[in-house]
Parts: sequence; structure tokens; C-alpha cells
Amino acid sequence: MQPDAISANTTPAPEGAVPSGRTLPEGEALLSVRGLKKVYSTDGGPIEAVRNLTFDLGHGELACLVGPSGSGKTTLLKIIAGLLGATEGEVLLDGKKVTGPPKKMAVVFQEYGRSLFPWLRVADNVELPLKNAGVPKEERRERVAAALEAVGLAHVPKSYPWQLSGGMQQRVAIARAVAYQPEVLLMDEPFAAVDAQTRADLEDLTRRLWKDLGMTILFVTHDIDESVYLGERVIILSSSPTVVQEDIVIDLPVDRTQLETREMPRFTELRHHVYEQIQLAKKGHRPDAAH
Amino acid sequence: MKTLKNLGYVLALPVLLVLLWWVSTRGEPNFFVPTPAALVDVFGPTWFEGRITADVLPSVARLLAGLAIAIILGIAVGLLVGLNRTLRALTEPVFEFFRALPPPVLVPVLILLVGLNDAMKVAVIVVGCIWPVLLNTIEGVRSIDPVQNETTRSYGISGMNRIRYQVLPSAAPTIMAGIRQSLSIGLILMVISEMFGSSSGLGFTILQFQRSFAIPEMWSGILVLGLIGLALSLIFQWCERRVLRWYHGLKEVENAA
Repeated sequence: MQPDAISANTTPAPEGAVPSGRTLPEGEALLSVRGLKKVYSTDGGPIEAVRNLTFDLGHGELACLVGPSGSGKTTLLKIIAGLLGATEGEVLLDGKKVTGPPKKMAVVFQEYGRSLFPWLRVADNVELPLKNAGVPKEERRERVAAALEAVGLAHVPKSYPWQLSGGMQQRVAIARAVAYQPEVLLMDEPFAAVDAQTRADLEDLTRRLWKDLGMTILFVTHDIDESVYLGERVIILSSSPTVVQEDIVIDLPVDRTQLETREMPRFTELRHHVYEQIQLAKKGHRPDAAH
Repeated sequence: MKTLKNLGYVLALPVLLVLLWWVSTRGEPNFFVPTPAALVDVFGPTWFEGRITADVLPSVARLLAGLAIAIILGIAVGLLVGLNRTLRALTEPVFEFFRALPPPVLVPVLILLVGLNDAMKVAVIVVGCIWPVLLNTIEGVRSIDPVQNETTRSYGISGMNRIRYQVLPSAAPTIMAGIRQSLSIGLILMVISEMFGSSSGLGFTILQFQRSFAIPEMWSGILVLGLIGLALSLIFQWCERRVLRWYHGLKEVENAA
């Protein structure tokens, strides 16, 4: 369950090499991002959003992608999710190239209000992907109930999403992803639109789901504190055109609490470090050979 | 108590209007405007002694058939076009042109093409009513939230499942608005289609009364038309409330925020 933290690349890339995140030996990675590049062609000429990204995600990892705003985080996530094509490079899930949205992946979007279907009740929203996948009725019922239970929403299956608070709506979206039982859960700044207290609850929920259900989670955020508190590993992205600035292991205890973990000296150190790196990225500093 | 109050709101203005009509026709009688009492007197004998089955029901049946075909066809073609960018670019200017044509001019054309029969009358209604449904369906499908589309894509929901579980419900509010427009157009076309070379139907009957100076009877026909329109609108409202309950709830929450 615990990801192998030692092999992470904690030092800057060697001179001359394209900087990359930690990679795993062949066959061990669940998700591989290899030399990913994305250039948008616009009326004003091509815009290079992502220059060259390489990293691996192992089974059962909880990794956070953090970067300054406009660093192509959402672009990267959409490419990984198969919603957007890459200009160069590839994404592999279980060794197979991702060309469209893979079956074994689920995405939790930031805009929960637009991602949930307002005409379906909570339980029906969670059930829909299973229904579409042809899961038998009895199993569907069980998985929906279990997922709602896991996110603490077992009491509102008959409500409509819009009758719930923002935080609860995002829980519904998370329950929908959990019930789908994906191999990789992608989360795109999922808590950016909720208030601070709800956000703390949802962070703890995410850690609990990761621990209890053994999910593999890639969590995109612009919030440095959140990335350090949540992740077992933080991948720091440079500013656009994006490369991996640094890939660090978060060696905090597995059991984390909002109060104690955030007061640990190690938390402060890590946060300090990530913050510095982001500031550097904002100023345009880039790892060697990525210019 | 509450129902009584609601009933009061519903009936207040109609009662007032009838009173006004009664007062204004009291003095010297105008041959072309009957008194309320005269209208009530002729209403029963005019309609409930044969005409309801000979004229009214066939008219209503043609109207409902035309509306049903227009709605089903409009939604089906609208889905096809709305989901396909190329098809949309290709068809939209043409659709706008046809929508701009006043539907009554189609009556002479369809008489020539289809003939003087029921099919022509239904065709007139279909050709006139399809545009609001079709164009609103296209618009409703086109304006689906991109995040919603990404959600269905990422969960592999596609094809008929996507249409059934996402596209149709999402476009339903816009489609319903189109259907509402087509109802009143349908009623107008039902009457007009029966005024040309016809020997039965509501439109024919009203015209016949007017030509034979059966003035109260003519007015009673207009009353029947109004009642049909009202019934249609009530049925529509009932359906809409059921289909779009989520939408009205959502709007209420949004307005309260």
C-alpha cells in the first residue's frame, strides 16, 4: 500500500538532461507520462503549454501536481484523462497507450455543479456510470450505497445535487468516481471552489479514501499547503511551457490530522521548500536544460 | 381555504370581462356582437348536437397528430444536427430561411402537393410547428456545458446512452420552450388549413357561420377554439412541470442565492 518513497528523484536533474519526475522500472508503473508536449494552435500563432513532461505513478500512490497558475496543470490532466490529445509524447496506463478516456480512470472536476447532472438525484448520479458500463442492478445498488457511505452522504440519496451545499456536491462527484472503482483517480483542483473549512474536511476524506480503498490518486492543485498535507509525493511543475521542476517525497506520517500534521516542523520545512520552488518557477527559473 | 383563494385569482378576470361584455351589449343591440346570454343559448345546440364529433374532434385529432409528428421529428433531426458541427453549419442558414416563411403560405402549396385531404391539413401543422422545436433542440444540444460533456466522455458514456442520460435531459428546458411556441402555431394552422376547400372542421364551421350570418354561432366557435387552446396549454404546463421539475427547483435555488 505504501508507495516506495525512496526512489523518488529529489535532486535536480543532472546537467544536460531534460529534467523529469521520478520514473519506475519498466512494468512497475501504473501510469506513465513520457515526454509529453502540448502546443495549442491559435489565431495568434502556436502556444506551447506543456514542453516536456515525464514521470511515473506507481500502484497505490497519492501524488499531488502543484504549479503556479497557468502552468498547464489542467491541460496535463486532460491529456492524461484522454480528453485531449498530446502534440508529442505519450501517456501509458498499465502499459497501454491512452488514446481516449480509458475505462479504468475517473476524473473529479473542479466545477462540481457543472459536472453533476442536475436532473438526476444523488444516488442516480453515482449510479449512471455503472449503469452505462452494464454493471448488474444488485451490484450497482451495493456499490452506490457503499460509495455514498464512504463520503458520508448515505443520508441524502434522494436529494438533487443542487439542494446540497458545495462541499456536499463535490462529495457526490467523489462518490461517483469511487463507485466506478477506477485504477487511477484524477482530481483537477477539486476543492478550489469550496470554503476553507469544507476544504479541510474534503482533504481528510481524500486521504481516508486513499488509505481505506487503496486507490491511486493524482491530485492537481495550486495550493501549496494542500499539496504537502495531502500528498505522499509532490510533483512541482514549472511555469509554462511546463516541465517538471522538482519531484519530492513527502515523508510525513501516513495518519495525518489538520492540526497536528500542519504544526509539525517537517511539514513547515516541506511547505517552505515547495513554496520556494514555486516562487522560483514564477520568476521564470527553470531546471537546467529546459530553457 | 387556499384552493378557494387560488380559484378566486383564476376566475376574477374572466368574470370581470364577461360582466364588461354584458354591460356593453345591454343597451341597443349590435347585430354582430351577441349578448352573453344569447351566446350561452346557442352554445349547447350548436356544438353538442353532432358538431362535436363531426367537426371539433376531427380538428383536434389532426392538431394532435400534427403536433406529435412535428415534436418527434423536430427533436430527432435537432439531435442529429445539434450533435454534429458540420451538419449544423450546413443546415442552420437553410433552417432559418424556412422558419422565417409565414406558415399559412404553405397551405396553397401543400394543397397542390398533397391534395385536399386530412394529410394536407396535418402536413400544414407539421411544417409550421416543426421549426421552433427543431431550432430549439439544436440550440439546446449545442449549448450543453463543456464540463458536462467531459464528464460523460471520461466515464465512457456515449451513443444512445449519452443522448438518453445526458443530451436530452440537458436540452429539455430549451426543447420545452420550443414546444410551447409550436402549440399556438399549431392551433392557428389547424383553423387556417380548414378554411381552404374544406367541408368540415372548426375553421370551416366558423367561416360557414360567418357567411350565413349566424353571428352568435360564429362567436361560440371562437369560444370553442379558445377553450381548446386553454386545454392544450394546461396539459402542456402539467407535462412541463413533471419533465422539468429539476430545472424549476434548480432555478429557484439559483435565484435565492
